[in-house]
Amino acid sequence: MSLFNRRKPEKLALTANSPVSKPRSTEAPSSPLAAELTRLLGPQKVLSAYGERLNYRYDAILVGKTPLCVVLPETTADVVAAVRAARAADVPIVGRGAASGLSGGAAPLEESLVISFTRMTKLTIYPEQREARAQAGVITLAVSEQARPHGLVYPPDPASFRTSTIGGNLGENAGGPMCFKYGVSGDYVKALEFVDVDGGIHELRRDAFDLAGLLIGSEGTLGLITEATLRLTPPPRFTRTLMSHFAEVGQAAEAVSQAIAAGAVPAKLEFMDKACTNAVEDYLQIGLPREAEAVLLVDTDGDDLATVEEELALVEAACQDHGGTVRRAADDAESAALWRARRSISPALGRIRPQRMNEDIVVPRSVLAEVVREIRSLGEASGFHLVQFGHIGDGNLHPNILFDPRTESSEKVHELAYQVAQVAIRHGGVLSGEHGIGAMKRDFMRDAVDAVTLEALWDVKRALDPEGMLNPGKILP
Amino acid sequence: MNHDIPVSQIGPQGEIMAHAIEACVHCGFCLPACPTYALLGDEMDSPRGRIFLMKEVLEGELPLFDAAPHLDRCLGCMGCVTACPSGVAYGELITSFRGWSEPQRNRSAFDKAKRVAILKALPAPKLFSVAARIGQYAKPLAPLLPDALKSPLDLLPEHVPAMLDLPKFTPAQGTKRARVAFLVGCAQQALAPNFNAATLRVLARNGVEVVIPEDQGCCGAAALHTGARDEALKLARNNIAAFNPDEYDAILSNAAGCGAGLREYPEVLHGLPDEDAAKKLAAKVMDISTFLAQLSEDGGLEPFMPASRPIKIAYHDACHLAHAQGIRAEPRALLKLIPNVSLLEVPEGDLCCGSAGTYNLEQPELATQLGERKAKNVLSTQPDMVASGNIGCHTQIQSHLRRQGSGVPIHHTIEILDMAYQGLL
Ligand SMILES: Cc1cc2nc3c(=O)[nH]c(=O)nc-3n(C[C@H](O)[C@H](O)[C@H](O)COP(=O)(O)OP(=O)(O)OC[C@H]3O[C@@H](n4cnc5c(N)ncnc54)[C@H](O)[C@@H]3O)c2cc1C
Ligand code: SF4
Ligand code: SF4
Repeated sequence: MSLFNRRKPEKLALTANSPVSKPRSTEAPSSPLAAELTRLLGPQKVLSAYGERLNYRYDAILVGKTPLCVVLPETTADVVAAVRAARAADVPIVGRGAASGLSGGAAPLEESLVISFTRMTKLTIYPEQREARAQAGVITLAVSEQARPHGLVYPPDPASFRTSTIGGNLGENAGGPMCFKYGVSGDYVKALEFVDVDGGIHELRRDAFDLAGLLIGSEGTLGLITEATLRLTPPPRFTRTLMSHFAEVGQAAEAVSQAIAAGAVPAKLEFMDKACTNAVEDYLQIGLPREAEAVLLVDTDGDDLATVEEELALVEAACQDHGGTVRRAADDAESAALWRARRSISPALGRIRPQRMNEDIVVPRSVLAEVVREIRSLGEASGFHLVQFGHIGDGNLHPNILFDPRTESSEKVHELAYQVAQVAIRHGGVLSGEHGIGAMKRDFMRDAVDAVTLEALWDVKRALDPEGMLNPGKILP
Repeated sequence: MNHDIPVSQIGPQGEIMAHAIEACVHCGFCLPACPTYALLGDEMDSPRGRIFLMKEVLEGELPLFDAAPHLDRCLGCMGCVTACPSGVAYGELITSFRGWSEPQRNRSAFDKAKRVAILKALPAPKLFSVAARIGQYAKPLAPLLPDALKSPLDLLPEHVPAMLDLPKFTPAQGTKRARVAFLVGCAQQALAPNFNAATLRVLARNGVEVVIPEDQGCCGAAALHTGARDEALKLARNNIAAFNPDEYDAILSNAAGCGAGLREYPEVLHGLPDEDAAKKLAAKVMDISTFLAQLSEDGGLEPFMPASRPIKIAYHDACHLAHAQGIRAEPRALLKLIPNVSLLEVPEGDLCCGSAGTYNLEQPELATQLGERKAKNVLSTQPDMVASGNIGCHTQIQSHLRRQGSGVPIHHTIEILDMAYQGLL
């Protein structure tokens, strides 16, 4: 049985056609909450007309309910005021960054106040401390861009780094191609400021109970992150890029395992299957191997060129041993083009089918080849377009089911998604590497997390948000 | 994304709109590319937001009145199209939507008069020139005028140049390499006649014979993008009749906006009897930079005289070249052919300068903010000169450079090539 059937009657719209009936702006007077917020914050920071609120009901994957009101704060004090007003009006609160999330995290499931951080973009670099202090709405890429003149970078690099915000990255504990060697967003947080559900401001450092660690990846269900102190590092002096393609998906996975076993620690190790390669090639036309069943994209980096080259050679040998054709990027421009290709996969898939169900499983590397093959045959048997890509170095795979809701059954899509999740769990894996659980995978949590642990998670949630006012309906089933 | 748009009721333009909306996966990749999102930071003023708004209006879920302010703020710069990996045809969507929705709009009498004035003056160089002259005399009155009238005045050059009469036929010098037709452009003819003069000189020098068909008129882009669809159709049909693609190796434009406008004809006429003729025409249309770059590749160009001293040129990508037509490399390659010239890349180069057709008149405040930002970015490269391939960008950037107290000159790419030929660089 599909887990989605167990959900309460209200079914989520995977599509832009939210089933919720929509009031007309002419009929709907703005809510008392909107009036109060406008009084507190002024009209520029409050969106109350229907046409303005309507666009705050979605993220990159899910379309939820139109919020009751939207606030665009500029300071932590604005956030506090908004939270207090929402509490007084008994309205739930949903935090929102760039809404590039892939699990429905920022899409409200009930009438809520959406606090959108896109105008909190203050960013200061402290080169001597190798730190950046960023407000929640700072675009991820901006941190590295502004740190680079000081000889520093911010390594976490989700594929969405031109769009997504620091607040959203920490909300999801976003990863990226770099996380195999350099870790995920949370590893670069030295301190956090957050506003709790009562409007209290907290300044956390990474000690004691590491409450900051708890907030990171909590998808706005425990508190609203307003600022963070981020660790910066000098970029490696040398980087080398290689692409290898294979006639079969499992071979790529095996090559990865061999390379890592041989001692290579690539900075990035990405995998894409044939459908991904072709979708991207349609978009960029940079000469990707259309006929290959699997493509690996690998960076090695470091300050010692000999080691960097040596690691690349290890990877190259592993690829060749498994039948791969290897191409080394001739220069920076070629490697930049290849990485742009990788970053474009996800949206380029929209060219194949308008909708997708997106997974984010992580499995032990030892079973990678098997998992990739199993998922592949599930897809073939189902008749759906199932594509796979991901940060294969970490065993983080993104199987995506592409479909057209007008001609293909969403029930069957969910069924297949559930089977894919089961493959991961059966092989000792987990449901989310970086995209979060959100609303999309909430019901899978019962399979992935044992009952006792789940209860402990609920205890944490109740301790910080007793009445369930922060991003209700997310993560915990 | 899924939709319930009553396509059959809307007709062929409905098909175009539904198709674009369907292709959007709401990933948000286009957000950072959008100038209005950069300024306003809200979802309604982003490409993704606008696509949602249009969908809701077309489905009858949102009154046009509520969506209009956000859609009106769209510059039509197509930055989002370049950024979108899903291939959403945003340009076709917004253009069709504007055409579809305009008849339903309730505009104020002032607004209406302004639109009529613009749409009448733009396609008529003589009228435009007269208007520009009047505007020039009105300049001292500017402080008394509402913003919507003030900023266009600011954009006018100190002296509106005299109109040039262009020859209907310019013979090729030396061996004839090609025969082309040339679209002269409207506002450009009045504001910067030298662009066309330079174009004819450079083409002739490279063995290209140029015909300026007499019956040609405005490309119709301004009408189309402001929603005056009937007017646009009329102008498009006029040009389809005026330019016979079979007679020429190429149909050239040196105004990015006009070139893109001609290339849009197949969408404008989609589902109408002239669609095939539009396609034939559009297939021959080329920007002057693409054409020269091709000449340069097959057989080379006449050599340029070196600049008299090392010159650093900041190249500005006009949206209608870079985003709408994907032309970036060609103008750069041409400028680099001039000995002693080096090129500079402008930070945030992909962001529109705020000129965008009639935007200065419709959204003066945002246009000004974008113009200032562009001028700052350009000046940060410390150029000796700025190059661009579009009259709109030209006037906007020139005016904002001046406002920031800079004397750095801006020229059309073709003017710089022409200057190099004449040893004036
Ligand atoms: C094409 C594409 C590629 C992607 N690639 C990757 C990838 O490689 N790696 C990866 O990890 N993710 C990836 N993602 C997913 C997404 O970009 C990330 O999850 C990102 O971190 C979300 O950031 P955002 O600003 O868009 O947040 P949103 O989507 O707006 O929000 C995400 C979650 O964080 C919460 N939140 C937002 N701001 C705050 C705040 N200030 N305080 C508390 N909670 C908050 C929201 O409530 C929500 O639950 C990709 C997405 C797309 C569309
Ligand atoms: S980038 Fe393209 S697919 Fe993504 S939201 Fe923008 S228009 Fe839609
Ligand atoms: S055309 Fe330009 S202004 Fe309009 S939505 Fe796209 S990027 Fe934004």
